Amino acid sequence: MKKSLAILLALILALGMLGTVSAEDEWLTLRVECFDREITGLDVTDCWQLHYAQENFGDPNHIKLEFVSFARWTEGDLLTNALAGGTAPDLCMTYGGPLVQQCIDKEGIWQLDDLLDEYGANLKAFLGEELLGYGKVDHDGDGVKEQWYIPARRISVANVGNFIRADWLEALDMEKPTDIDSFTDYLRAAKAAQLAGENTMPFAFGIYAPDPMFNVRRFTDAFVDFNEVTEEDWFALARNPEMLPGAKEGFRWLNTLYHEGLLPETFALTDNDKANDTALIMGYNGFFSQQPDQPWRTDKNYQKELEKNVPEGHWVTVNPFYNESLGKYLHDIYAANGLSIIIPLTANEETAIAAMKYLDWMAIPENMFMMQNGLEGINYEGISETLGIPYGVKSADAVPNENKMHAGDICFISNGLFYGDDAKNSAALALPFAGYEEDVVASYVDSLTDAWTQISFTVTVQADTDYNATVKSKQGEFLAAVVSCDPDKFDEVFDAGIQDILNSGADKMIEGFREAYLAGEYRGVFPGNL
Amino acid sequence: MTVTAGSNKRRRRSWLQDWRLYVMLILPISFYLIFCYKPMAGIIIGFQDFNMFKGMWGSQWIGLENFRFTMGMSDFSYALLNTLWLNFLGLICGFPVPIILAIMLNEMRSIAVKKISQTLLYLPHFLSWIIIGGMVLQIFSPSTGLINSTLLRWGWITTGIPFLTDGPHWQATYTLVGVWQGMGWGTILYLSAITGINMELFEAAKIDGANKMQQIWHVTLPGIRSTIVVLLILNVGQMMNISFDRPQILGNPQVRKYCDVLSTFVYRTGITNSQFARATAIGLFQSVVGLILISSANFVSTKLGEEGIW
Repeated sequence: MKKSLAILLALILALGMLGTVSAEDEWLTLRVECFDREITGLDVTDCWQLHYAQENFGDPNHIKLEFVSFARWTEGDLLTNALAGGTAPDLCMTYGGPLVQQCIDKEGIWQLDDLLDEYGANLKAFLGEELLGYGKVDHDGDGVKEQWYIPARRISVANVGNFIRADWLEALDMEKPTDIDSFTDYLRAAKAAQLAGENTMPFAFGIYAPDPMFNVRRFTDAFVDFNEVTEEDWFALARNPEMLPGAKEGFRWLNTLYHEGLLPETFALTDNDKANDTALIMGYNGFFSQQPDQPWRTDKNYQKELEKNVPEGHWVTVNPFYNESLGKYLHDIYAANGLSIIIPLTANEETAIAAMKYLDWMAIPENMFMMQNGLEGINYEGISETLGIPYGVKSADAVPNENKMHAGDICFISNGLFYGDDAKNSAALALPFAGYEEDVVASYVDSLTDAWTQISFTVTVQADTDYNATVKSKQGEFLAAVVSCDPDKFDEVFDAGIQDILNSGADKMIEGFREAYLAGEYRGVFPGNL
Repeated sequence: MTVTAGSNKRRRRSWLQDWRLYVMLILPISFYLIFCYKPMAGIIIGFQDFNMFKGMWGSQWIGLENFRFTMGMSDFSYALLNTLWLNFLGLICGFPVPIILAIMLNEMRSIAVKKISQTLLYLPHFLSWIIIGGMVLQIFSPSTGLINSTLLRWGWITTGIPFLTDGPHWQATYTLVGVWQGMGWGTILYLSAITGINMELFEAAKIDGANKMQQIWHVTLPGIRSTIVVLLILNVGQMMNISFDRPQILGNPQVRKYCDVLSTFVYRTGITNSQFARATAIGLFQSVVGLILISSANFVSTKLGEEGIW
């Protein structure tokens, strides 16, 4: 009995001593959100970039870095839940604008002005005042905007990629279409010639359910009569391009294509993505519109997959959406800010300081280079002497697991590879797509032609929060109806659809955006000013 | 005094004797406590301007504002009517099927055929709606789907049947797919009820000269009447509740006015927009109506001389 008591006492003493030892040398844990794209072999919570950052930033500062995995495609929902449950990481990021707005309105995150001034000199230099301005909001209404989030720097703002089959043009002996009429001729000719047999479906078209107008306005904006649109209307109709004067004819054009069998009858069935992907790589389609680098992306390489089925198949950029009233090929581009970085209030002051220090460390050019590119000889072959950027960049499957990385998701202050100046950055865009560099560059050039920056507002428009989702759902319904309806009833269906969208809250949103515009609380470009 | 002590002792003895049964009860009871009763406290956010950082004790009270806002939205009435209508269709078409099926299975002579048919009938119940959604698309697509392309090829029709792209057609497809998915599983309770019928009744009927149909009508059906009534009450109580995955996966923008139901409406206006308070308000509304429906169904059935569920 005595013996066991003695052992117990000794144990307690030993534990106590352990406690004091660790207290003297206290380390802070910094939990950092990390998007997870489930790339085979890459464990984002234990990856090369984490070890590099731990060694070079964490260890010297007595900070233990922890990466918390958030699935990329549901990050908004996951972060909302984590914030509501008080379990969010100390450093978070999201593409969800309304979520960030809610964090500010409901005061759930740190105000960053002091932290940025004291610990963020490098970060400020990398982002610049103008870009930082995106993260500034006047929350307390004193007329001075405070820094609430850190906007990441978007290296490439290109958004629109329109692609046509070069091999089909050749087979039809046609030139690349340059306006709607010649484009329609191409679609008709392809269908008539049955270039992919009875499966030929010239226009790959579907409804992007989360935001139906996001893609469709690329086509319908070509029909807008800009003589009839004021800058004020343009901003007021930020979410309702279907209501711009003239857009109706764009929808009528789609309706015509539908009834001529030039776009798929199944375009409105929600689970259409897979079917569309298959049609694209089987070579059934002659045109599609997505991101500027879409045909060559590693996750969905339409070009390489197409070549497997149709050896001569070749996607090239095309610019058919010519707006006559402006004499321009309009393309929308992203604003200069990428994702939004926030520090939740659940992080204490010390941790918030550590978070800001980590961002600042990442912004130092040498560190960013390592975090984005990895190791020479492993992640890339070498550095080009002429361009000063890495060449021979390896795809993820060609790199050993312990060296696998994801540049953007982990070095998140920069959306895209950053090499110091625009020339280098543009040259680097084509880097991951060896063999197709010319096609990629041509696509980027097209997508930046006559480019207008997407609209955003710098105040919360309450009607937007309230009705956004409902209006988008109505727009999906509207699009399905106007494209597939009987051409004789088109006008009737169109007008009723517009009324339906207005009634579901769009009228209040338009009013709210108009007020925000008149108060000067907007960003973006009116194409009439290009 | 002595009586109480005696009954206490008896109670303790039954506890001790059946302790294994009580232990087994812990699991379902804790399930209900944790997943059904504990979250009920969250109902209060339906009456708040919910601030997710302050939680449900720190948010501001706004009375019925969330109810007023959500029910005032233009889609709410559609969603409500579609919910009731689709559930009603499901009940009319789907309720009798398992009963008929159970009787048919019961009348089968060959045990092997019976077992195989049962297994095949249960199978759809275990498929997720994601998979069924993919199958539906393959089978019912406008011109490329199995049915339409076959009928077109045979020349039986000249234009595709719009199973998924026309409102009423879609509702029929939705209902029938639901019946197909649930009918096998639904037979289980009826089959066990049929097994419980006294065999002597069938023999007596036979001696009286009843043929198969007459036996089914006068013995089997009355024998499972109470089961039918209880399930009917439960189904009526579920009229306001509709699953999320089935309408969400089978639906599409072309038939939005016909496929939008309360669950998808709540998901869209509440969850995707982080408007949890409004989603909660609609959830509460659904539960209250469900409670009223189930109570009335129970009341009617006890008045008609049947056993109720409480």
